[in-house]
Amino acid sequence: MADQDILTTLKILIIGESGVGKSSLLLRFTDDTFDIEQSATIGVDFKVKTVTVDGNTVKLAIWDTAGQERFRTLTPSYYRGAQGVILVYDVTKRNTFAKLNMWLDELETYSTRTDVIKMLVGNKIDKEKIEVSREDGLKFARRHAMLFIEASAKTRDGVQCAFEELVQKIVQTPGLWEMDHRPQGTFSVTDQRNDQDYCSYCSVL
Amino acid sequence: MLDTSSVVSEGQNKCAVKCPHCDSQILSVKSAALLSEAHPLPNPTQPKEQHSPITEDLAEWWVVEDMFTFDNIGFSHTVGTTKYLVCADCERGPLGWHDNTSKKSYVALARVKHV
Repeated sequence: MADQDILTTLKILIIGESGVGKSSLLLRFTDDTFDIEQSATIGVDFKVKTVTVDGNTVKLAIWDTAGQERFRTLTPSYYRGAQGVILVYDVTKRNTFAKLNMWLDELETYSTRTDVIKMLVGNKIDKEKIEVSREDGLKFARRHAMLFIEASAKTRDGVQCAFEELVQKIVQTPGLWEMDHRPQGTFSVTDQRNDQDYCSYCSVL
Repeated sequence: MLDTSSVVSEGQNKCAVKCPHCDSQILSVKSAALLSEAHPLPNPTQPKEQHSPITEDLAEWWVVEDMFTFDNIGFSHTVGTTKYLVCADCERGPLGWHDNTSKKSYVALARVKHV
């Protein structure tokens, strides 16, 4: 394990309708088990994750809206300062795809940055009853200049790639993160062995 | 009381701190300071229909000043003035707690693995 500087700290949001699997995406990052019945006790507010992309180690603060989307409009503070947004729909539920415009509007309204990197994730591709084709997802993503990936939190397909691709794009957009550089000294890198393994999931696409 | 000698070096964590269930790395070597002070933490498993959680007093903690010092960690929603720390990958816990006022986090030595 080598010591390595942390390039930057990024705020990533996961947004989308209830039940599209946002929390599962947040959860499915590096492990093997999948808890179908996610415990709904206190619930997770946010996570700090360390990822290494293209040799750059980056700390992510990842927030999902779980539960809050019931109130329709999230507090502006949720959006403040975010460099990346993962917009999730459920490929088996057309209405979650139809609501994407509303989520983009809300993002436009509250985002404090004009160059936020957006990624569209069509989730639950392991299911049989697909209502939103990959082509539809891709078209929507292109129209709104978003990255696009189809994923299954259950099989882990695409999930790691989604985060890595988003981080890669943010890091390649220096204006987005340079100002936020935190003078923190050095940190050690986490399990790079895992990071390597997951690259293979990109081939699903 | 744990025997901390094997995991402490100059008051800091000598080993990486990992989730005991899924091995997710929580803290890198020498990123947290040892604190010996009794503090209650809810038990990982609670009886059904338990209204106020059963806690145990734990005496040894890794103090983390800045939440971005963590390699991987999850923060629960706020309960009172604290958040509970859970594994970022398997979400098991609580592995410790976070004080919303001081912004410091406390990882229970008894609830994690030292590798």
